[in-house]
Order: sequence, then C-alpha cells, then structure tokens
Amino acid sequence: MIYNLQMTITIKINNNTFILHPSGSLFWEDRKALLISDVHLGKVSHFRKHGVAIPNNAVSKNFTRLTEVVDYFDPENVVFLGDLFHSSKNSEWNLFVEWSDCCVAEIILIAGNHDIIANENYDKIDVKVFKELEIDGFLLTHHPTKREGLFNFSGHIHPGVSLRGFGGQNIKLPCFFQKENQMILPAFGEFTGKYIMIPEGNDLVYAVTKEEVILIEKRQAER
Amino acid sequence: MQGKNGLLNAPTGSGKTYALWLPIVLDYIKKNPDYKEKHKPGLKAIWITPLRALSVEIKQSAERVVNDLGTQMTVGIRSGDTSASERAKQKGKMPDLLVTTPESLQLLLASKGYEKTFKDCSAIVIDEWHELLGTKRGVQTELALSRLKKIAPNMRIWGISATIGNLQQAQEVLLGIDSEAYRNSVLIKAVINKKINVISIIPDKMETYPWRGHMGLHLVDEVAKIIKASRTTLLFTNVRSACEIWFQRLLEKYPEFAGEMAMHHGSINRETRLWVEQAIRDEELKVVVCTSSLDLGVDFAPVETIIQVGGPKGVARFLQRAGRSGHQPGKESTIYFLATHSIELIEASALKKAVENTVVEDRVPYLNSWDVLVQYLNTLAVSDGFFPDEIYEEVKGTFCYQAMTRENWNWILNFIVNGSQSLQAYDEYKKVEIEENGLFKINSRMIAMHHRMQIGTIVSDATLNVKFLGGGFIGTIEEWFISKLNPGDTFTFGGKKLELYRIKNMQVLVRKADPTKKSRLVSWMGGRMALSAQMSELLRQELYRANTDDLSPELKALQPMFQRQRKESIVPSADEFLIETFKTREGFHAIFYPFEGRFVHEALASLLAYRISLLSPISFSLAYNDYGFELLSDQEINMQEVLDNNLFSTDYVHSDLMKSLNATEMARRKFLDIAVIAGLVFTGMPGKMVKTKHLQSGSQLLFEVFRDYEPENLLFQQAYRETFDHQLEEGRLLLALERIANQEIVWKQCKKPTPFSFPIITDRLREKLSSETLAERIKKMTASYMK
Repeated sequence: MIYNLQMTITIKINNNTFILHPSGSLFWEDRKALLISDVHLGKVSHFRKHGVAIPNNAVSKNFTRLTEVVDYFDPENVVFLGDLFHSSKNSEWNLFVEWSDCCVAEIILIAGNHDIIANENYDKIDVKVFKELEIDGFLLTHHPTKREGLFNFSGHIHPGVSLRGFGGQNIKLPCFFQKENQMILPAFGEFTGKYIMIPEGNDLVYAVTKEEVILIEKRQAER
Repeated sequence: MQGKNGLLNAPTGSGKTYALWLPIVLDYIKKNPDYKEKHKPGLKAIWITPLRALSVEIKQSAERVVNDLGTQMTVGIRSGDTSASERAKQKGKMPDLLVTTPESLQLLLASKGYEKTFKDCSAIVIDEWHELLGTKRGVQTELALSRLKKIAPNMRIWGISATIGNLQQAQEVLLGIDSEAYRNSVLIKAVINKKINVISIIPDKMETYPWRGHMGLHLVDEVAKIIKASRTTLLFTNVRSACEIWFQRLLEKYPEFAGEMAMHHGSINRETRLWVEQAIRDEELKVVVCTSSLDLGVDFAPVETIIQVGGPKGVARFLQRAGRSGHQPGKESTIYFLATHSIELIEASALKKAVENTVVEDRVPYLNSWDVLVQYLNTLAVSDGFFPDEIYEEVKGTFCYQAMTRENWNWILNFIVNGSQSLQAYDEYKKVEIEENGLFKINSRMIAMHHRMQIGTIVSDATLNVKFLGGGFIGTIEEWFISKLNPGDTFTFGGKKLELYRIKNMQVLVRKADPTKKSRLVSWMGGRMALSAQMSELLRQELYRANTDDLSPELKALQPMFQRQRKESIVPSADEFLIETFKTREGFHAIFYPFEGRFVHEALASLLAYRISLLSPISFSLAYNDYGFELLSDQEINMQEVLDNNLFSTDYVHSDLMKSLNATEMARRKFLDIAVIAGLVFTGMPGKMVKTKHLQSGSQLLFEVFRDYEPENLLFQQAYRETFDHQLEEGRLLLALERIANQEIVWKQCKKPTPFSFPIITDRLREKLSSETLAERIKKMTASYMK
C-alpha cells in the first residue's frame, strides 16, 4: 500500500513532534525513531504447529507491512514496544532474521510478556533488548507505566474504541489512546485482537482505519 | 423389529421407549437360551438421545425390561455428565445396553480399539431423530452410523421421530441414501388422535397490552389462576432469561407457591434438573417454569396443563409442548397460549388453525457439512487411524455427503494433513500424518487430546461453570454475558441472586448477593427462533381477516390495537404490501411488512439495503422480527426512488444477496460455528483449566484472516452456503418477492411509530450495511466518554 501524508496525524508532545500512522506505528521525528507495538510474529505458525489451520499466507503480511512503514519513514531506529513474538521460536523467526538483515535501521526491542525467546537469539542478529528505555523525558515500556515527570509510550493493551452515530450506527476500531503523560499504541500485528477502552476527561482517541488516522470527537455518556 | 431397520413415528409419551427396548432384549434371549444362568459380556445395543437429561429415564425403562425378563444384562449411561472413573470402567467392560448422546458416541469412535467394542452390537436406536435431523449433530450421527454399519454388520438401526413434514426423507437420512439398510427398512406411523385444546389468555382490558415484546408478565395473575386450578402445570418460555424472570415474578407475587414451584432449563446443573423431573413425577410440584429443556422424552403423567409464553414459532414445537400434558392414553391435552405483546395474539389464532388442520413443518437436513466431516476424519485418525479409500465409500453413502466429489474429498484430506492445499517450505503444520502403509493417523498426544476436548463443542458457545466460592456447582453461563460484568456486580441465575466474586480458570466464582441489591438477568444468545414457512402463511391469512367481519376471539380482542394502527397507517389486506416511514430522534425509519418470518426478513432487509446503497452512499442499521423489517439510517431514504427502480425485483437476487452478505455479520457468525466444529477455534473444555491461551483467537479475527488470505477454503465457502440455505432460506425469499410483485405497494408516511412497527424499531440486535467509506462514517460518529 502506498501511503500519503494526509492519512497521518502529526502531534506535539513536550515540544517533540510525533506522526501517527494508519499502520498503528508512531514516528518520533526529533529522534528519527519508529515505535511499533504488539506485532505478535509467529502467531499463525504457532497455531498451525498445534494443528489449527490458520491460512499460511497470513504469515508474510506482517513482514510486508513492516517493510512498507519502515520505507515510508526511513527511521534510524525501529523500536518494538514488546510482544514482538507471540510465543517460542518457530519458523517465523527465520523470516524475522531475514527481515532484520535487510533493515538498515537499528532494531530495539522492549521486551513484553509474550517475548519469551532468549536474548542471545536477538544478540546474534544485533537486535538490542531492553526492559524499558528513558530518552529525553520519554519513557518507552511494554506495559503502560506512570512515572513522575516522564511521558510514557507503551502497548500491551491493544486499545480499541467503540463509536456511535445517528441512525443506529456503530463501529469498533483499533486506536492510539492518549491519556495524561501517556500514549498507548494499537497492536501492529495482523491477526491480533483489540480491547475496547472507554475514554474519560481529557483523553484523546485517534482511531485507525486501514487508510487513515482520525481524531475522534467526544460525546458525554448518557445517564 | 424382525431383522429390519426402520423409523418409528410416535408422539412423545406413547410408551415407545419400552416398546423398543423389549425386542432388543428378547433378541438377546433368543440367541442365548441359557440367559438366566449365563451372562455374555459386551455391548449389545446403543440408545442415542439428543438430550442427556433424558438418559436417566431411558436407562430406567431399559432396566425395567431387563429385570422383568430375568436377564442379567447391565445398562449404562455415557454422556458429558458421566464421571471420568465411570468412563474408564466402561472402557474395560462395556454395559450390555448403552444410553448415550451423539457427541459421546463420536468420542467412543475416538478411542483406541473401538472396532472391537462395537462388533457384536445388534441394535442402535436414535431417539427424537426429528430433533437431530436438521442439525449438525444429525450429520455427526449419520457419519457414526456409516462407520458402525461396517464394523457391526448385524446391527439394526431404528429411529424414533415425532411427526414432521418429511418423515420419508428422515428415514432416508437415517439409513443412508439408496443403501442396503434403507432397502431393508420400514416406516411405522403410530395413529394416535389426541385431542388438543388451545386457549388464548386474553386479559379483560386489552388497552393495557404492551405493543412490544415483553415477557408477558402483565398476565401473571391470569397465569396464577390457571396454575391453581390444575394439578401440575408446565410453563414454557422460549428463552432461558424469560424463564428466570417468570420464576422470580411468580414467586414474588404468589409466595404461597414456594416449595411447590421449580425451574428447569439447559444451563441449570444436572442434579437440580433430575430432582425437578423426579418431583414432577412424584406430583410434588404445582408448577415448573421451563424452556425447551423439557420439550422431549420424559413422560410426566401428572402434568395436566401447559402454558406457552410467547410465540412457539413453529407448529411442530407447539404440538410437542401441548403433548406434554394429559399423558395417559385417551386424555385430552390443554395448552394455554400467552402472547407477550399484542401482535403475537394473531399468532395464537393462527396456531389454533394449525392444530385443527395438523399442519407440520419439514426439518431440512444439512448437505456437504465439511466442518463435521473434518471433525469426523480427525476422530478416526485419533483412534486407530483410517484408510481414505475405505472411509470414502462409507461417507459417500450418507445423505449429507451424497453429492461429494473426489476433488472435495481430496481437498478435505489435504486440509487435515497439510492445513492447506499447497505445501510451503517453512510451514510446520502438524495434525494428521500419513504412515508408510497409507494409514491416516494423529500421533501427537497433545493434538489428540485437543481434538477429543473439541468434539463435545458442536452445539454451544463458550460456557463457564458457575460455582459458589465455598464450592457447589450452580450451572453454566455463556462467556459473552459474564464478560460484561465486573466483580461485585449482581445477577440472577437459577432463581438465586448472586454476586460475582471473580472469574478464574473458566469458572465463575460467586457468592450469595444482598437480596435488596438490583441485579441483572442472565441472558443467553441461543434460542432466537423464526416462524416457519407454514406458520407465516397461517399468520398472514389470519391477519388479512382483520379487515373482514370474520373475527376470531383473538382478533376481536385486538381491535383497539388495529384502530391505533389504522389511525396512522393501515392494516394490510391480502393484495397489499405495506411500507411505513417516519422519523424519530434515533434516525429515519423505513418499515416493510412482508409477514414472512424472521429469517426471510433478514435476507430481504440486507437485499434491499444493499440495493438502495447502490443508488447513493448510505449507511443502514437493520432490524427484523417475524412480521417485518426495518432499515434505519441517518439520512432519509428516497422511497419514491426505491419504488421507481423496482428494487423488489427477483432479478440477480442471488448475486445481490451474496454481495450484501459480505457487508453484514451473518456469514461471519456461521463461519464461527463451522470453525469451532472443524477445530479452527480452540475453546477448550468447559470447566477444564485451559493451558492453551496461546491458541485462542477471536472469532472476528479468524473470519477476516480467511476472507483476506484463503477465500477459496471449503470451510469458508460453507459459511456462505449455509447462510443461504439454512439462514436466509433463499427459496422462500424468492417466493416472497414474487408475492410482493403481485401486491399493491402502500407507502404510508407516518408522523410517529405505529403499533405494528413498535416491536421492530425497539429491537436492539441489529445488522449493519453501508456503502459509505469507513472514514466518512467515522467522521459522523463520536466516542462515549465517561463522566
């Protein structure tokens, strides 16, 4: 898919510039870092290995999308905010190794709860693994984390939002979910679910369609 | 039985259980003259029942025969309720006579050395075959029979069925199309003319009758009167939630019923259900509030009266329920019909007609259910393995798979072995393996275990066990309901107010709630039924009489409602097709009234919405009931344009429907069922701890991944086919469109909702269809914020 600029949304946080992308990734312009969360690679293969016949072709899609978004932003760093792999090493690991070989940017993984693949595997392919990262007053973690004086980028939750309109219309979409000092990224991976969040106060919700990022208007809950 | 196979058509409660056990036991006696001294071990006969609740009754009846004749035969039950230790004991030594369910029979085929278990079996009885016929459990049974015929060549096959429209076909499905077994078979019809009285409960003051579907609770006093006047009454509701509410309300208003009143539905634990059934027999209960869980089997002699709350939706079901009363031969059955809202009273008078003329529906059997076949082949692979050529012939001989091609078969084999149709280098798919001698076999113990757990899940959504914190099983609840509750929330279940403590390991832990706390009622997804074709026809005829002087008592009682309807709109006659449009704060409503039953309306609604959406970008929310359907939108529908463009045309119906299906949820839901049966969704076993969280995925996701990556998959295609054949009933849809083409269209622009429209526009279970882009739609929408 070819993306153009109108489909993204650019926001400022603490004087830094960030671009929200329809793929669910987020580009930190000042540091030329691309943040991606919850890809859950290996999920399809994991299912298949256990006799659940999820279509095989779905495997390559995650890699195509990763390549597309990296090509679009041309970042210096690609930071995965956890749950890069769904489970233990399987054939998709080899595909990831191939992909990381081709990727010019430096790859960093903030380990999540699903990331059970041993660190030495990542060492071998020059992917640096951290528990968390603190850069310029920004805290990058897998689980949403509150810490005094820091703005947190995280994933884990797979946030989604439920929208309603006149004429009985409603729809559920993945979203970027922004709270005070916190931005939770949607899951990047194909074949991952979402968890519907109910915003409150000054929360901001950026819904993600396949083509566009859209800031959602608020409506006070009835009752 | 006389060495023949057959189908016995007999109404519930005509002593048929005894009548079939007797020849089975006599046959054993004939073959073993020394039966009084010596006991020949091994399985001799199987009795399949669709409801495990019935198995105790059937076992007792078998024991009576066995003991009366002085044999030493043993009788056993094997179902989901059978304990693991009991099952292990049976494995070592099968009872002579086995009572079981289709799922448990399938599980027996999944155990090693099953051929030996069955080889001397001389008879199999499939009870309530009409209940299985139009379901996938019926297909499961067909497949099991195809195997048993081969490994137990002396086995006779008998089905028992209540009266349905297609008895002859039922016999063919049971025995196999053009099979040896079918040729050597008979159809026995029991002629019992039982008199059935149908009485509508009509309140003195009709003005208070609600317009929309309620629980009928405003008639609780009338119901109490009927209960008091009768020995034992069964009060049937259509859904389990209504059952809970009626039980509560009766108890609140008539505390004197306490102790003489019970509730019975499929989610209540077995001990309680058995206790209730026994108590009915012992005449200890005045009233039992129940659902279809008491429809079948068990004879309850003391039951004098039946009350049906809400439309039973089908004549056969209504007759079945009516038959639950006046069980002794020669007695009359009395059934009271309680309409939950005013239009339903028309159903009552239509039902009376149906009973007079004994109109009954067909049960349409499934064809080419690939999901069940995949499950079955995995079952055989789990036990002793199978050789495809041998099994192909058996499967091809069943009714369900009579049209299966070699290509289909090879596709299925490929699917269970490779998980796809093409081999890919890095793929690690593992399920069925082909051994050197060509045997298809599952060798992984874990996959085998997963499969066995999966077999029982053919019928239901994921369910969780409800238990008290201190122990004590209360029943099962569907996952989607409990997922909406938070710890501390109160809900009513099994007639008790419970507080949710927490959910752990597929168990819902609860404690007794403060009785004054407001609680939610448990609801279940299942059980939404649609009017059958026959019933809809009767309903229309009845409604058209509303404009004549020939009024039934029900139609007379409905006069105030008809007056309101005529004030804003019309009551259509046979040559008129009514469309109403009006605006409320919800949006622009357009209501259409074909009176064709819910399923046909579902199809018509998506067809019409799709066609309108081609004229200009528009988004719809669709709702339907048995009388009509609604298209709700945020913009006004140009009805003149709809009529001018002849959007009710029968041209291109199939392709238009196909396209509209992609836009709605119907095929998605069907695909979920298929995916569960074919083992694509791992649900685990209810109540068992699931260590396989990594293997769980949302059903929505699964549909999308198949749609995007493997749309040619036979199981995926099956979802569409089944939606057409079993959900939308395309044949009926065409007939409906032809009928509409010959009617005069009457379009009424109303100022406010009419009585006819009310039950439809207040329905919250809606489909969506849109021709606007996602972004266009989102921009008109908002997210609800918490205060």
